[in-house]
Amino acid sequence: MDEKLEQAVVDIVGKDNFTHNIIDLVSYSCDASEHSHRPLCAVFPETAEQIAHIMKLANRENIPVTPRGAGTGLSGMAVPIRSGMVLDLSRMNRIIKISIEDRLAVVEPGVIYATLEKALAPKGFFFPPDPASGKVSTLGGNVATNAGGLKGAKYGTTRDYVLGLQVVLPDGRIMRTGSKAMKSVSGYDLTRLFVGSEGTLGVVTEITFKINPRPTATSTALATFDNLEDTGNAINQIMHSGVIPSALEILGRETIAAINQNTDLNLPEVEAMLLVEADGYTRGETEYQIQKVLGIFEANHPREVKQAKTDAEVTNLWAARKSAYPVLSRIKPSSVLEDVTVPMTHIADLLKGVQDISKRHDIPIATFGHAGDGNLHPQILYDGYDPVQVEKKEKAIRDLFELAIGLDGTLTGEHGIGLSKAPFMTLEHDPVAMDMMRTLKKTFDPNNILNPGKMALEG
Amino acid sequence: MEAKYEFEKKFRKQILQCSRCGFCQAVCPVYGSTLRPGLNARGKMLLLKEVMDGHLELNDQLGESLFQCTTCASCFENCPSGVEVPEIIKQARKDMVNVGSCHPAFEGMHKVLQKHTNIYAEDEPEDFERERNQKAEYVYFIGCVGSYREDEATLETLELLDKLKVDYTLIDEVCCSGVLEDVGYNIHPELARKNMDLIFHTGAKTVITGCPYCFRTFNNKPQYIQLKEKNIQVVHITQFLQDFDFPVSTDLRVTYHDPCDLGRHCGIYEEPRKTIGKIASNFVEMPDNHEGALCCGAGGGVRGAFAKNSIAMARRRLEQAEEVGAEIVLTECNSCVHNLSNAKLRKQKFKIYNTTQFINQLMEEAE
Repeated sequence: MDEKLEQAVVDIVGKDNFTHNIIDLVSYSCDASEHSHRPLCAVFPETAEQIAHIMKLANRENIPVTPRGAGTGLSGMAVPIRSGMVLDLSRMNRIIKISIEDRLAVVEPGVIYATLEKALAPKGFFFPPDPASGKVSTLGGNVATNAGGLKGAKYGTTRDYVLGLQVVLPDGRIMRTGSKAMKSVSGYDLTRLFVGSEGTLGVVTEITFKINPRPTATSTALATFDNLEDTGNAINQIMHSGVIPSALEILGRETIAAINQNTDLNLPEVEAMLLVEADGYTRGETEYQIQKVLGIFEANHPREVKQAKTDAEVTNLWAARKSAYPVLSRIKPSSVLEDVTVPMTHIADLLKGVQDISKRHDIPIATFGHAGDGNLHPQILYDGYDPVQVEKKEKAIRDLFELAIGLDGTLTGEHGIGLSKAPFMTLEHDPVAMDMMRTLKKTFDPNNILNPGKMALEG
Repeated sequence: MEAKYEFEKKFRKQILQCSRCGFCQAVCPVYGSTLRPGLNARGKMLLLKEVMDGHLELNDQLGESLFQCTTCASCFENCPSGVEVPEIIKQARKDMVNVGSCHPAFEGMHKVLQKHTNIYAEDEPEDFERERNQKAEYVYFIGCVGSYREDEATLETLELLDKLKVDYTLIDEVCCSGVLEDVGYNIHPELARKNMDLIFHTGAKTVITGCPYCFRTFNNKPQYIQLKEKNIQVVHITQFLQDFDFPVSTDLRVTYHDPCDLGRHCGIYEEPRKTIGKIASNFVEMPDNHEGALCCGAGGGVRGAFAKNSIAMARRRLEQAEEVGAEIVLTECNSCVHNLSNAKLRKQKFKIYNTTQFINQLMEEAE
């Protein structure tokens, strides 16, 4: 970037909020995906007004701008693939207001999920959509990616909790969407358009969230199965039994084996394991739910059914689930974590299909995920420095997406399109839908300045 | 292609194992006080990967990140992929020094120890009004910070040992020089030799260290292997004190700061709490404690090289002490005491002590 332009940026954000230091540029070249590209500079804006000025300048000078939260995304959404400028929003990190009376929290985008959780806990409230990266991910990033989490089946995703936003548009205008009221049908739902838009339509500078009373009791149980049909049947029956578990997680055979190799948890080596949690406000309430689930487990030929009786048992079970991604990541130098999602009735087909793909391309794919909302995480393990393995990975990914779409599912339940899945957008969306998305992008960002190169919006 | 640097030879697999999840960002004290992802463990691993891939040169331009790490190991503790970041950083620093890129403060530490016997280049050692190099059951090894910066704390620790009638002697100790391993250099063998000879001369079978870093160095570094060979046990004073009872107690609200060198690096969490439990009925943990404790910002050469950020890190830790309403912050490391005390704001009314120092004060008051 030439010196005059740099000075213009510094004039907006101040010298301490600008960097072109190689140390920073390298860190901004990546997120948690396999993609990388260095920007020319990065800024740490502190106000919506600064961002407005930046966007005006970027439009005038044709500089690509990529907004960034904590960079924990798994699809390359925060990777500045067209270089330009990274907008690191982590310094806009104030919790502006928590109003228990109005059941809402107003935050800046750089507030970390866990920080809001910590602030809400003493008040007996919580913000349910809890991504696995919640200790580090920013709420702005959660909004931009419509982050999900373990509790999706019962509590939904980030989208279900955003009441309103302040957004800086690509042309530098500042806009408010939504309302601080619990419900509003006033005009087009611009708020929802921005949630999950991956920073391609505007920069979110303030978020108003709905918050929930925090459940105070939980019951936890597990079941293991020797075949996937029984597992799939159990999941389906639970989900239409009238009980909606706060978590219903699945671990596949390869995942269980990897956990056993790397921990002392000694899980039974079965085809699949289901882990379920029911939450509520009294022990009676959670026990009622878990008994119903246990009955369904028993009716579907389990190898074993077990209810966690002590806190230590509960902790161990969730430790097993949470160790899935880490232990799998250690097996090969590289891995890709997918998040295909299908209607509940197709979960067993998806599980079997993933095993077939793994065999067909002779590449290890381990599966775990959120069975309760049909969202699986097949993790493909490979060596990024081995071209043969990279090719196998590419083929397996294509087959996986075709499988999910063939089962009336979606490419992505919670990780987003970004760069990784952009080539597959047309697999899921028909030409008219693609045209509408591209038209929307042009309406908001005619010069394609904001996070260009993502979501196949340039086709 | 053959690896150009030692860090690559030793740690290539681990550096590639970093899945870039960014979980280290949540716990990195350097990130916490700067909010620059280029300075957390992920940022550092990315830089080293770029060097391995030939996209970056290992030179001065990487120093601000590679040299700015307190080696507190909270990233390693929380790394889903098990990447041993502190070890990788220490090796990369040695490679940096080999190519002639070193932080002046680190180079200064190395040079000082070539000429002087302690890291502060002080030529007049504090004698603590005690005979040295005597025959005794124990050697009390103070460490540089305790000798030259927190000498009051040391004097009180020695008074406590006297009150407990411990048969100890001080020696004409020199810097253990373990810290040089963290900042791109190596332990000076002649310093190690001198310390060991002085210890052997006393006939002591146990060395009690006041400094967790000296404790780690004596126990883990090959330059000090003769201590083990001669069956000389090295304990930190917190381990030594746990078996004593003290005829004093306090109602003040007390918290404990886990030094990284004692906690995450050695797994010593409960011994100090056991001792504090005996004298303080109103004990409270800070939000980040045990394995999750927030670093005071002093380690890994950061206090010397990046003083401003070092203090900023200490301030974040002290905010936690304030948050839990502590009146007394205890720790077991003179370096932590030093940095936390330097960072304490006037409005923060709590006091910061080593546990031994605090117990001694309680005993003095009771007399």
